Amino acid sequence: MWDFISKYGLIALLVAFPLTYAIIDVAGGEGLSRIGNNLVAGLSNGAIWALIALGYTLVYGIIELINFAHGEVFMIGSFTAFALYSVLGLTLVTGPLGLVLGLLVVLVLSMLVSGSLNVMIERVAYRPLRGAPKLAPLITAVGVSFILQNVGILWFGSSQKGIPDLIRAQQELFNIGGVEVSRADVLAVVVTIPLVYLLTAFVNRSRLGKAMRATAQDPEAARLMGINVDTTISVTFLLGGLLAGAAGLIYALYQTNVWYFQGFTAGLIAFTAAVMGGIGNLRGAVLGGLIIGIIQQISDNRIGNEWTPAVVFAYLVLIMVFRPQGLIGEETREAG
Amino acid sequence: MAVLCLFGVLALGLAACGEEDEGGGGSSGGKAQGTELTIYSSLPLQGTSKEQSEAVIDGEMLALQQAGNKIGKYTIKYVSLDDSTAQNPGTADEAQTADNARKAVQDPTTIFYLGEFNSGGTKVSLPILNKAGIPQISPSNTAVGLTTDEPGADPGEPDKYYPAGTRTYARIVPKDTIQGAALATTMQEDGCKTVHIFNDKTTYGAGLGRNVENSAKELGLEVTGNDGTDRNAPNYRSLAEGIKADCFVGSGVTGENYIQVFKDVAAANPDIKLYGPDGVAEAAFTDPKEGGIPADVGARTKVTVATLSPEEFEKQGIEEAESFFSAFEEEYGIAKPDPYAIYGYETMKLALDTLKAVGDKANDRKAVVDQLINNTKGRKSVLGTYDIDENGDTTLTDYGLYTIDGGELTFDKVIKAKG
Repeated sequence: MWDFISKYGLIALLVAFPLTYAIIDVAGGEGLSRIGNNLVAGLSNGAIWALIALGYTLVYGIIELINFAHGEVFMIGSFTAFALYSVLGLTLVTGPLGLVLGLLVVLVLSMLVSGSLNVMIERVAYRPLRGAPKLAPLITAVGVSFILQNVGILWFGSSQKGIPDLIRAQQELFNIGGVEVSRADVLAVVVTIPLVYLLTAFVNRSRLGKAMRATAQDPEAARLMGINVDTTISVTFLLGGLLAGAAGLIYALYQTNVWYFQGFTAGLIAFTAAVMGGIGNLRGAVLGGLIIGIIQQISDNRIGNEWTPAVVFAYLVLIMVFRPQGLIGEETREAG
Repeated sequence: MAVLCLFGVLALGLAACGEEDEGGGGSSGGKAQGTELTIYSSLPLQGTSKEQSEAVIDGEMLALQQAGNKIGKYTIKYVSLDDSTAQNPGTADEAQTADNARKAVQDPTTIFYLGEFNSGGTKVSLPILNKAGIPQISPSNTAVGLTTDEPGADPGEPDKYYPAGTRTYARIVPKDTIQGAALATTMQEDGCKTVHIFNDKTTYGAGLGRNVENSAKELGLEVTGNDGTDRNAPNYRSLAEGIKADCFVGSGVTGENYIQVFKDVAAANPDIKLYGPDGVAEAAFTDPKEGGIPADVGARTKVTVATLSPEEFEKQGIEEAESFFSAFEEEYGIAKPDPYAIYGYETMKLALDTLKAVGDKANDRKAVVDQLINNTKGRKSVLGTYDIDENGDTTLTDYGLYTIDGGELTFDKVIKAKG
């Protein structure tokens, strides 16, 4: 009985939120365009959260550490992207070809900076604590998070900084039945889907991916089978950092605003997404990110921005009550 | 007493000496010690309000310098404190603000405390200073509840800020009932029929939002919403898409993510007219080169500030203002200073003139407070002639309306608020 409620009650719970408003809109003669706009904005925002959530879930899956510094790695990715705008001369008047090529370079460099940073953090702050009680690396992660926030303050100051809207992010690209799809929406989805696909393919098909999965299941057994566990863990941090760097650029282009504190907020949302989806599970992280994105946008539009964090966490609590292991279960050592 | 207090601390904990300690150099309304008197300034020196704060400080220091750092037999020492932190920039951090107020209280030479810049900060420092009887003047606070229980105030305001039971606080800018009316009047004159308000949920933003709402309704405008915004939200696009009005007021400060708010509202509502209060009257908001709103959004935005242009002061025949602008240019080489420079100047000038008026009692906090609150009448100042009423409010009511041109605030006209 509980399994039935857990499975179908959860689906009902998730669908109820948009469905209720869709019915209200239709009854009020507004049609489905408003809820459609909410869903589009939610999916594109959620795509960014998904990219960050993957970093949390990858690391937790393999060493069971909540890498609290991951949000700040994402923030550094955004800052790097913004800094590269001026280095590469990307401005509001840059032509389309120059812009596309320039942004591709920015994407690659931001990913590399964030990826390298994440590997360095693992090497310096987490690896020496591999055998220590679990609280030690957790506190270290919080410490690294604060250090990176202060690096952000030193770099671009402590205020929110509006940055050039290079892609005219909110310009409508096309419209389907009153549902507007902006450039930013397309960008977020177009960058996220291939990256998630590549990551999944890497984890599922490559030798290093197999090593990651083996290490996640049992690091000692993996070591006995000849897997270099340290290298495998470093690769995991590299992958998480690369995705955070990509998310950093998309965020900068999407929000046209960067802030040293953006990583804390985004990290909290993305970590919630990872838990909601089932921490340690890649598909779960993506699903959690998208769901949170949609809940946020519907709440912002219908209930009020000031209540959105409460609505998101109310959903998290309800999902945890129905399925403590998250939406798609927990593929970690503990969950088997 | 000190020995008893020490035993009390050892035996019962720090709370035993709390009241005496807060009184610091003198109990409520006591006398500052020595012939050196200290005036503290507490403003946010980090983040988006940094430039405004620096303008206030420049104005304050100019006034002090003109007085030769002396009033009668007393030498005046000026101490500038930062009420913001790196983690909470652009606005008053509550813990830091409380520390600043306690520092002033514990200094036996303190005679004035000039600040805070943000009303939310004054909510913290005012009770601490009031308990110690230290006179306080703010160059910029506009929240209604700091001085009165008029519409816009929260329950329990303003009495909760005055534990001593007497008034010790004055401000030289009109409170938000006036700014709210000024914004509503401007919108009515611009042909607005419906208005949507976002507020940043701070003491200042939420209070002003209520004032705009009340004034707009009084003037016959329909208010379609007054929504609070979360500073940490990544964006406000879906919130902005819910706006069904022809005019928008962003009742908040730049540091509460109001650049993003204005950008998102402008993008989601291409024809909406945008209005902002003095909380966004700074380069960090107006200038795209400083990371502010884009030029096209700036061109659609009007901002109210309780100060006028040098030309307007001249037009109104306020000679003191003309002298101020000349002196400011001579000292700092800036002909058109930030709007808050003149308020900084008047804050310090009011403090110094108050000390001068009480003569040898300039070290007597009670006498100084009495002079400030009860005897500041018909004061001819750089801002015009005004009184400080029994609540500590100025009787000035003029607001300046500014447009944004090339990233800079450009004075448009004086608003005589209705409603």
